[in-house]
Amino acid sequence: MKWLKGTVEKERRALEGARRRFISKPTEKRLHSVRTAGRRFRSLLEDVAELAPSAKLLGRVKRAAEQTDAARDATILLRLLENSVDPSERHLAEPLLAKLSAREKEATRLAHKRLRRARFTGSRGT
Amino acid sequence: MKPDPVPLHGVTDGIELARRVLDTRVCEVRRLAGGLQQRDQQGLHDFRIACKRVRYALERFADLDSSLETVAKHFELLQDALGEAHDRDVLLSVLPVAMGQTEQRLAAEREASVDRAVVLWAQAQELLLDCPLIVLEAASNHS
Repeated sequence: MKWLKGTVEKERRALEGARRRFISKPTEKRLHSVRTAGRRFRSLLEDVAELAPSAKLLGRVKRAAEQTDAARDATILLRLLENSVDPSERHLAEPLLAKLSAREKEATRLAHKRLRRARFTGSRGT
Repeated sequence: MKPDPVPLHGVTDGIELARRVLDTRVCEVRRLAGGLQQRDQQGLHDFRIACKRVRYALERFADLDSSLETVAKHFELLQDALGEAHDRDVLLSVLPVAMGQTEQRLAAEREASVDRAVVLWAQAQELLLDCPLIVLEAASNHS
C-alpha cells in the first residue's frame, strides 16, 4: 500500500532527523523532539504490524525511547518542583532539587552517548 | 501496557486501514476509561497511554478525513491534563515527608487536572460520534 509505505518512511525520517539534531546539540527541547518523533513512529509501527511487520525496527525505536526516559523524567520533576515548592519549605526541597539536577545532567549525557550509536535508517527486518 | 493488536487482514486501501486502526484504538481507550473514574495512578497512566495512541492515529489519518483533526486536538488537551496529573503523582512519590504544604498543593493540582480530564473525556466522546471514519456503539455504557 503506497500510503502506508510513504507514511512509514516519513515518520522514520522524522525520528532519524530528530536524533541527529540532538546528537549535534543535546538540548532539552531536542531531546523532547526525539521522544515525540519516537512515540509517533512506534505507534505507527504497532498499528500496522499485521500489514508491515518490522519487529527489529520497532525494538530499536523502543530502546531509544527507554534511553531517554531518565533524562526527561528528571527534567520534568525538576521543573515541577522548582515551580510548586512552597516558599516556607524551599530549604527542605534543596537536597531533592540538587539530586534531580545531577540526575538530569547525567541522564542527558547517557542518552546522548546511546543515541549516538542508534540508527533508524532501515524499515526492513522482522 | 501493550497496545491491542489491530486486525488488518484483507485491508488494501488507506480508508479501510484508518477505520480498523481507529476502531481498535477507540475501543481500547473506552475500555480503559474506568481508570479515569477511579482516579488511581496506574489506571490513569494506562488511560493516558491509550489516549496518546488514539491521538497519534487521529493525526495520522487526518489527511483522509479532516474532521479527525479537531478530535485529535481535543485528545491532545486531554493527554496534557492527564500528563499533569501523572507528573504530580511521580513527584509526590519522591517528595520528602516534611514538605506538607508543597504536598498539599501538588495533590490539589493533581485532582484539578483529573477533574479537567473527566470533562475533556466526556467532550471527546461526543466528538468521536461525529467522525464518519469511526463507528461507535453510541448507546454502549462506556464512561
